[in-house]
Amino acid sequence: MLKLNHIKNILKVSGILLVLLQLSCVQYKKRENIIVASSGKIESLDPAQANTLRTLQILSALGDTLYKINKEGNLSPSLAIGLPKVSNNGLLIDIPLRENIYFHDGIIFNAQAMKFSLDRFMEIGTLKYLLNDKIESIEAKDEFLLRIKLKKPSSSIKSLLTSVNLTPVSPNSYSDYKDKFNNKNFIGTGPYFLESFSSSQQVIKPFKKYWGKEPLNKGIDFINYNNSSTLFGAIKTNQVDVLISNSIDDMHRLSLNNMVNKDKLNSGEGAPTSIGYITFKSNDLPLSNQKLRKALAYTIDRNLISQRVSFGTREPLYSIAPPQFYKEEFSPWPSYEPNLARILLKKEGYCESNILKIPLTFRSTVPADKNLALIWQEQIKRDLSDCIEITLNGVESTTVYDQLSKGSFEAVILDWTGDFSDPIAYLAPLLSCTQIKDNTCLKGEAVFSGSFWGDKKVKALLEKSEELEGENRLNALIEIEQLADKGSAYLPVWLVRPKAWSLKDISQPEFSSDGLIILKNLKRD
Amino acid sequence: MSFKKELFKYIFSRLALLPIMLWIISSLVFILLRIAPGDPVDAILGTRANEFARESLRVKLGLDKPLINQYFEYLNQLVHGNLGISLNTEEPVKVIISKALPASLELVIFSILIASIVGYLIGFLGAVKPEGRIDFWGRIFGIGTYALPPFWAAMLIQIIFAVLLGWLPIGGRLPPGAIPPPPITGFLLLDSILDKNIEIIFSSIKHLILPSVTLGVLLSGIFSRALKLNLEEVLKKDYIEAAKSRGINKSRILVKHALPNTLLPILTITGLTISSLIGGALLIEITFSWPGIALGLQEAINQRDYPVVQGIVVIISSLVVMISVGIDIAIAYIDPRVSY
Repeated sequence: MLKLNHIKNILKVSGILLVLLQLSCVQYKKRENIIVASSGKIESLDPAQANTLRTLQILSALGDTLYKINKEGNLSPSLAIGLPKVSNNGLLIDIPLRENIYFHDGIIFNAQAMKFSLDRFMEIGTLKYLLNDKIESIEAKDEFLLRIKLKKPSSSIKSLLTSVNLTPVSPNSYSDYKDKFNNKNFIGTGPYFLESFSSSQQVIKPFKKYWGKEPLNKGIDFINYNNSSTLFGAIKTNQVDVLISNSIDDMHRLSLNNMVNKDKLNSGEGAPTSIGYITFKSNDLPLSNQKLRKALAYTIDRNLISQRVSFGTREPLYSIAPPQFYKEEFSPWPSYEPNLARILLKKEGYCESNILKIPLTFRSTVPADKNLALIWQEQIKRDLSDCIEITLNGVESTTVYDQLSKGSFEAVILDWTGDFSDPIAYLAPLLSCTQIKDNTCLKGEAVFSGSFWGDKKVKALLEKSEELEGENRLNALIEIEQLADKGSAYLPVWLVRPKAWSLKDISQPEFSSDGLIILKNLKRD
Repeated sequence: MSFKKELFKYIFSRLALLPIMLWIISSLVFILLRIAPGDPVDAILGTRANEFARESLRVKLGLDKPLINQYFEYLNQLVHGNLGISLNTEEPVKVIISKALPASLELVIFSILIASIVGYLIGFLGAVKPEGRIDFWGRIFGIGTYALPPFWAAMLIQIIFAVLLGWLPIGGRLPPGAIPPPPITGFLLLDSILDKNIEIIFSSIKHLILPSVTLGVLLSGIFSRALKLNLEEVLKKDYIEAAKSRGINKSRILVKHALPNTLLPILTITGLTISSLIGGALLIEITFSWPGIALGLQEAINQRDYPVVQGIVVIISSLVVMISVGIDIAIAYIDPRVSY
């Protein structure tokens, strides 16, 4: 009897607890703000330090850039009121600025504020080398006219001005942060202001004095979950409204896409910004032999790999820069031709008794890289087992980056996202080299990328492309891609499109050309 | 020498050894981090930064100095209670730890509570009626929970209770958009109680349930086995037989005579589990996006944020030492036979 009473009491208490817990849950379902989830904490909101997609995403809503790239791929003014005017010698760029724009602290935006922000970035920015290599000085010519003095002509500087990292900050609020980061706050000119900040959650609200189109929502809550399955579960159970694709496993992407097909979710995707590729070390045997690298380029079946690794969500890639920059079909790298690979290998004395052994390194912390390595290995076993043998080697990401320039890897799988929306942001980090000897790069980006491949013609073309504009520049960049294909120190594999999924009562996510969601266009029905 | 004096001497000697132990641990961490491949400059700038940018950052972070200078500078800071500044965020390491440690402690305390209630209850009932139904299922439960990989169990529990049934939140400490109470203690539940915020109290409990139950259930297997085996052993002792022959009832024998004598090993196991959990609940913290110290440590290791790694290790080591000293004191009080 006593036991029965105990059980009844326990059940009563549990019942009350459950009701209360459910009540507290119901209250949060009536949310005003749109909840956007992704992975990764934000440790700093300073544009001078921002280097993760998540940070850039929130900064793109809190700040504006001088220019944006429009849907046609052209420069379009944002905080600037017109296109940049370049002097005849190409060394001076005048940028007329928009008037009547306010920072979130009420201070007016002008050329001095822009100069302050750019100077600050050039002083403390983690990516300051992008500007410091190009810019001599910055001058406020007039209250609303900014002048940039270049060290040498640079056509890519205009695209660089679209970078979220160069969003202006209020000189008033940042007066104590001229030479240090302001991690926990952000005062810019964007459509939203920062209401609260913690590394795991940020809340932004519409800025009433915003100069442009007002946000269609009442605010955004950014939250982070550490892993793909939690992010997937969060949108499946309506605990978040929008999910951003960074760090979503391919399996979960497929499930989310299936939910879109069943009309359970909305989705939107942007132009591809991230490339996956394999680097071959070209300064040491056996891969110092260009023909062997070329043969390897014929051995990879990108379509099969894309299907097996990502269920077709990663697009096969045949160039270094994403193809949308070239405005027309452009695939310099060869497609899968194992017979051609065999012919080349035989000519170099391989196949039959002599097998080319390649150790392939992948980042053990990136599941897609591991799957790519495994499938390529199996594919070669199937098609060319008498000629090539691939051995796999998983290494932690930070160690891989540290060892790249030391020439530790014969072949290594990597990825890259351009710092700004321009082919040069993909080509230069892989191909530029300041000191070349016999097709070996001794000093420059090609050393840091682990290929050590240098080509004097590529070097000259990279330099020349900075002086060219429009079609001529594009042709120079295409020629660089063709030379890089000939050198075969890199093997482009796939492209990753930024994608986002939203609940059915939220509008379809739209992307800007730099692969970031346009948050102000998100709307709750 | 009296018992109290002996005990005091023992505690003093253990505490006196603490700085030496911390020096050894911190020196080892310092050396191991520098030996490990990977560069904090790469983690901050990315691999594409040019040599000038890399070198300037290295100078700014003090990584250009000879290793021995860096070491003595680090020791000097440590002696003065300064754990340094994060290379990545330029935030004091103390602040980073003060945010993450309470989250971990909150999770550990609730997990241990659940593990103790479930584990010791099952163990006790199993020992009271050996070879009975409870004992049989208790053994299966004990072995099963011990054998389950934590990440798999956590994911399974998350999928069932958060995704399929939708009863509980999927992760984090609070729902998105909820404003946390002012941080007084850092323990969210306690802070929300102090803030008298009913909504946040219930929300924080809801968010705590899945991770703490997962961790608690996984640990309860060890607890139940430990208690059962020790209790069975004690129940075979002569003094229990003597008590039975004197006609003392069974429940009194269990509670008054047997249980206190099983407390020693149980207390040790519980203490050691708490110590290992403070920095070791990584898989649970990752799965449930729990912003604890283990997660912070993992991120800092990935970024080669030397001061943060060193700071977390020093703090965790100190806690482990203090907990083990606390256990020794408790044991000395419980069991007068223990001498030092």
